[in-house]
Amino acid sequence: MSQEKKGGLKRRDFLKIIGVAGGTAAVTGACSPPVEQIIPYVIPPEGIIPGVPNWYASTCRECPAGCGIVVKNREGRAIKVEGNPKNPINAGGSCALGQAMLQGLYNPDRIRSPLIKNDTGRMQPAGWENAETALVEKLQEAMQKGSGSNIVFLSGHTPGSMGNLIDEWMTAIGGRHLSYETYAFEPLTEANRIVFGIDKIPTYNIDKTKYLLSFGADFLETWVSPTLYTRQFSEMHSYKDKSMGKFVYIDPRASLTGVNADEWVSIKPGTEAILALGIASAIVSGGMSANGAGPFGGLLSRYTPDKVSSMTDVPEETIKEIAREFSSMQPSLAIGGGVATTTTKATETLVAVNILNYVAGNIGQTIDFGNTLTLSDVSSFDDISSLVESMSNGEVDVLFVYNVNPAFTLPKSMGFEDAIDKVPFVVSFSSFMDETTEKANLVMPDNTTLESWGDFIPNESVHGLIQPVMTPIFNTKSTGDVIISVTGQLKGFENTFSQKDFYDYLRNAWKEVWTSSTGGGDFDSFWDKALEDGGIYKTTSPVPVSVSGDLSGVEFSEPEFQGDGDFYFMAYPSYRYYDGRGANKPWLQELPDALTTGVWDSWVEINTETAEKLGIKLGDYVRIESPQGAIETQAYVYPGMRPDTVAVMIGEGHTSYGRYAKDRGVNPITILPVAKDALSGGFAWFTTKVNISKTGKYTPFVQTQYTTSEEDRPMVGTVALSSLVSGELEQEHGEHEEPDFYPPVKHSSQYRWGMAIDLQKCTGCGACITACYAENNIPFVGKELVAKRRDMAWLRIERYFEKTDNKAGFDTRFLPMLCQQCGNAPCEPVCPVFATYHNPEGLNGMVYNRCVGTRYCSNNCTYKVRKFNWFSYKFPEPLNWQLNPDVTVRDKGVMEKCTFCIQRINYAKDQAKDNGRKVLDGELQTACQQTCASGAIEFGNLLDEESKVSKLSHDERGYKVLQSINTQPSITYLKKVKWDKA
Amino acid sequence: MSEQTSLTYAKVNEDVIRMLDKPTVKWLALFIPTLGIVGFGLFCFLYQVYTGLGVAGYRHPVFWGVYITDFVFWVGIAHSGTLISAILFLFRASFRISIYRIAEGMTVFAVLTAGLFPIIHLGRPWFFYWLFPYPNQRELWVNFKSPLLWDVFAVSTYLTVSSVFFFVGMIPDIAAIRDKVTEVPRKILYSILSLGWKGSNWEWLHYTRAYLYFAAFATPLVLSVHSVVSWDFAMADLPGWHTTIFAPYFVAGAIFSGLGMVISLTVPIRKIFHLEKYITLDNYDGMAKMIILTSMIVGYAYGTEFFMAWYSGSPYEWGQFYYRATGEYALFYWIMVACNVLIPIPLWFKSVRRNIKALFIISIFINIGMWFERFNIIVISLSRGFDPAAWGVYKPSWVELGITAGSFAWFFMFFLLFIKTLPSVSIAEMKEFLPVPRKEANHHG
Repeated sequence: MSQEKKGGLKRRDFLKIIGVAGGTAAVTGACSPPVEQIIPYVIPPEGIIPGVPNWYASTCRECPAGCGIVVKNREGRAIKVEGNPKNPINAGGSCALGQAMLQGLYNPDRIRSPLIKNDTGRMQPAGWENAETALVEKLQEAMQKGSGSNIVFLSGHTPGSMGNLIDEWMTAIGGRHLSYETYAFEPLTEANRIVFGIDKIPTYNIDKTKYLLSFGADFLETWVSPTLYTRQFSEMHSYKDKSMGKFVYIDPRASLTGVNADEWVSIKPGTEAILALGIASAIVSGGMSANGAGPFGGLLSRYTPDKVSSMTDVPEETIKEIAREFSSMQPSLAIGGGVATTTTKATETLVAVNILNYVAGNIGQTIDFGNTLTLSDVSSFDDISSLVESMSNGEVDVLFVYNVNPAFTLPKSMGFEDAIDKVPFVVSFSSFMDETTEKANLVMPDNTTLESWGDFIPNESVHGLIQPVMTPIFNTKSTGDVIISVTGQLKGFENTFSQKDFYDYLRNAWKEVWTSSTGGGDFDSFWDKALEDGGIYKTTSPVPVSVSGDLSGVEFSEPEFQGDGDFYFMAYPSYRYYDGRGANKPWLQELPDALTTGVWDSWVEINTETAEKLGIKLGDYVRIESPQGAIETQAYVYPGMRPDTVAVMIGEGHTSYGRYAKDRGVNPITILPVAKDALSGGFAWFTTKVNISKTGKYTPFVQTQYTTSEEDRPMVGTVALSSLVSGELEQEHGEHEEPDFYPPVKHSSQYRWGMAIDLQKCTGCGACITACYAENNIPFVGKELVAKRRDMAWLRIERYFEKTDNKAGFDTRFLPMLCQQCGNAPCEPVCPVFATYHNPEGLNGMVYNRCVGTRYCSNNCTYKVRKFNWFSYKFPEPLNWQLNPDVTVRDKGVMEKCTFCIQRINYAKDQAKDNGRKVLDGELQTACQQTCASGAIEFGNLLDEESKVSKLSHDERGYKVLQSINTQPSITYLKKVKWDKA
Repeated sequence: MSEQTSLTYAKVNEDVIRMLDKPTVKWLALFIPTLGIVGFGLFCFLYQVYTGLGVAGYRHPVFWGVYITDFVFWVGIAHSGTLISAILFLFRASFRISIYRIAEGMTVFAVLTAGLFPIIHLGRPWFFYWLFPYPNQRELWVNFKSPLLWDVFAVSTYLTVSSVFFFVGMIPDIAAIRDKVTEVPRKILYSILSLGWKGSNWEWLHYTRAYLYFAAFATPLVLSVHSVVSWDFAMADLPGWHTTIFAPYFVAGAIFSGLGMVISLTVPIRKIFHLEKYITLDNYDGMAKMIILTSMIVGYAYGTEFFMAWYSGSPYEWGQFYYRATGEYALFYWIMVACNVLIPIPLWFKSVRRNIKALFIISIFINIGMWFERFNIIVISLSRGFDPAAWGVYKPSWVELGITAGSFAWFFMFFLLFIKTLPSVSIAEMKEFLPVPRKEANHHG
């Protein structure tokens, strides 16, 4: 053995070691995430302070309701949509469709530049000059033919400057403008014309009613103006001062609106008119009518409750009960005309509803014709049908498609797709490659709403403004600008428009608004103020209406149903996809349906007994066949369906429209016949009977909650109205503090954050969930992962069906469940690394950086509200532009949960500190609270005795979920109030 | 004992050291596939670290599954080894002598295997060292209230103590091997490991004292370590976990499963290396009696759990236990009951206790049953907690099963290496029961 030098390393060995170690370090160093540089503004752009958001008011255009929005812009990017508190329609609330607007703006499948279809049928990207030149050429050709109707501009409902521009343009060049809305409520308009002589959709004052009777009008979902009516419904139906309103819903299907009713009355399809007349008849014959029967006495005498009962399958007792309550609980209101129940006799139904309202004395009280909706003026379905016919006949040379997708929303049997093939030049302004745009020869993508100038007039009290919240992301151009620019290039029409672009046109139009307003001052301040407010809002006064007794032409009989199948087929509009336009937004796909908790797919709802008889269970694929065609989708067994009716949601089944919407689910419209409501000519949706059969295929139904019952656990508290009124509950309800041998936790003396959720107000719409996704950078995971229960929602709406002895036999209860920020949190002591800790202001804080992912906190969570990042979820560009910079984007291996929007809490506290005061009650709203149109969620400082949340936490209806486990949650739930037994 | 009287000191040395001969084809035929499976397990783990824990089968709310089952399973098995080696030593149970070395080896390797899982199941395993209270610039402590932290201390203590106990106990035997072997690398290895043991009186005196003290030190660990591991569950609120019976129930279960594993390991070793004279039917008889005892304790615990759930009147407990016996996992539950309570019943009969084949089969079922017991406790309880909207059913994925297989292979790999490098039967203690060799015959007996 050679002698080893004691102590030192030989030089060679040293170098060897350093080499290996260094090499290893370099290799492993290369495995770490790349370093990202942050470059601060050296000279910041004007108006931007990094870290401080700018808010821009605008108007939502996801449906024709016209709610106002304010959009948060951080460093040039729009990151959050909120309702505009100043707009009288939504007053700060916003539905899920509105919250998901940002995913339209930042959708990875947006058309990013003009496209020209070449000879092989492929779309080629082009520049704006070339695109406009191509259009000018075609237009000149078509104009030379000059038939006066060979150029058609088919748009959605465009009340306001855009609509005016299109009208002017079409008039100038010899074309015509048609506005087509999938849900146009024509029977409603016609019924009002027949009975009141006003062919408009009124505004209803649901908030003033004591008793609301809905004949299939899904006003919490898509009917007319859902956010407005959700807000008003909350006013009417919430428990205040020992009373609350009553809501009864009549429909063959218990829709989301229906399960929020105090009673769901299942009715034979198409017989709503007869029932309404029966109720009116009972009111009159019972001497309970304020007005008397008026001109309708003879009519009503033919529809006595016993006769009506056998025709409608509604028990006589129920008819009389409704009659009693409808007339005694004044003011009351009956509404109708939901899309799903629109039969060939829809107008008759609404005439009957008008008669019912008349007889109960509601006209002028709860129906306001002083503020009618512009939606009443869209083109009729007759016009649209004749357009399709002219297209088929080759009479249309140029077709413009703007904000509509008729290839999806019209039945296949109408032949729109073949008709459009016969149009030599189709121009689409769509931002997405939807089914209709696939057929286009030229695509000139419009800016999305959040990048546009414009205005929108939904009704007589709101003239909403639309302003860009950020510069356009892609090479898109406002359609208004395109129209003006193209016209400027048309020989002989160069001077049609004196304005140079649509912004000018808009301002010009508003100069007239300004002159007719009483504001005074100069136009620019008026304009700036209008932009700040999101528009101008007028109060309207009710208009007296006279009732015409002339019902000639109206025949109250059962409507036609085509087909010889055994089941009535209902296609119902979705509050998540509307008419299919929401399907390309992954937040909406992942928002669980309130009733089924299904996601990312369609299903057919089948009654429990029917399913048993046919041997169909949840998840079985079922074939639904009408004379027009067949669709196959999974069955959902639902007690809220009449045994002889099946229902499929409208919105899925796209064959195009981007990666999130394409080839997913089924479109029920494809198997509907082209049928019209006889009197109004509007499209009739509920007109066919189908056969259903099992296909033998089965896959587990993907839902976020696979249970349906509370399993004898006190999840949703309910209380009978009678015990509240009698004061029984108040006596029982004491402050129960569970015994505790630990000293109380030391909290801050300034703030103790708490929340109160009123279960009587929550409708289950899920807008809060979408708002939470937007605010907190929550990733969407897709259908496969939701099937593995890996969805990341921090807030879920639990849905329970409980057997009761009401008319429906079951009761539906919703429970919004989120991190309870427990005072005695079970998750805190078990985390080995203190990644979750108790914050002095009562929150359960989550430190993402410290979490090693043992997941013990979730195992110990009583409410199971914690979610884990199983993968590093991606936000495909440009969806990542929407991310909120105030909230960490979590990487794989880390737990997350609701934080009570701590970023908002911190922001509010900073603002308050800068102003030398504490945070005021109402100044700070969590994202979920902010968007809730019902105002079900209240949040604030429990230490402030005057705060709303403090008072609610001591409310007699207050309780905590799973109180006996003694986790001491910071969220107080207020029990749902039942009209009869709890 | 009759078989052993034909043994002499020399024969013992020879028999045991012969096991350390060059590996045969048979050994390689076991070792190479074992390495392969370990490799596959490693691949599964790296894939999991790279892609995310989502490749495992977790579904909300079941956030612990096969990995923690494996963890508790292996920690449990380890306890029996220490029981046989330390506790039975203190009780002077002679039937432990020939098997305790294998049992101790099993303990050390089981703890090594178990120790993998707290790292494998982490969401961010590269930060596993945050669970140790090391001085750091951020002045962060770990949360001593968390049962997972107690696990860190319990398991690391157990590993340290068992390894030292294992090693120290082997020193005289390694010296015997050192004296016998002649090839250079092995001679150097054993010389180093035997720490210069000369076999003097002084050394024997200190050795036996040390062994006694280590045995006494290791004894409470048998009860405490698995109690601490059981508190991972008992300290949680979850129905099905939150019960005070867990500590004794788990300890009894641990011993039960460990005995099963000891039998599963010793039966083949005995056959292959012809150790019939060393590991006799008396040893098995003794172990079988302990199996009956612990099986009865475990069965009683099952009954108590159900009784207390019913007696409590809590709808959450009723819901959980009703689900356990009748829900989606009912089959797993009944497999567990059959394997742990019913199958050991034949051991009441002496003929079965002394029948090697029967013992081996029963021991395999015990292992299966005890693995399922941990799976049941962890997964079924999580699957159906307080809030019905948050119920979900867990299915393990191929990654988890791959890593589980890898862990079995890892354990087996160490075991195979052990029987080829270290004395698997205690030479020194075997000799205690044999007559001391003399240079000439002693006529006075």
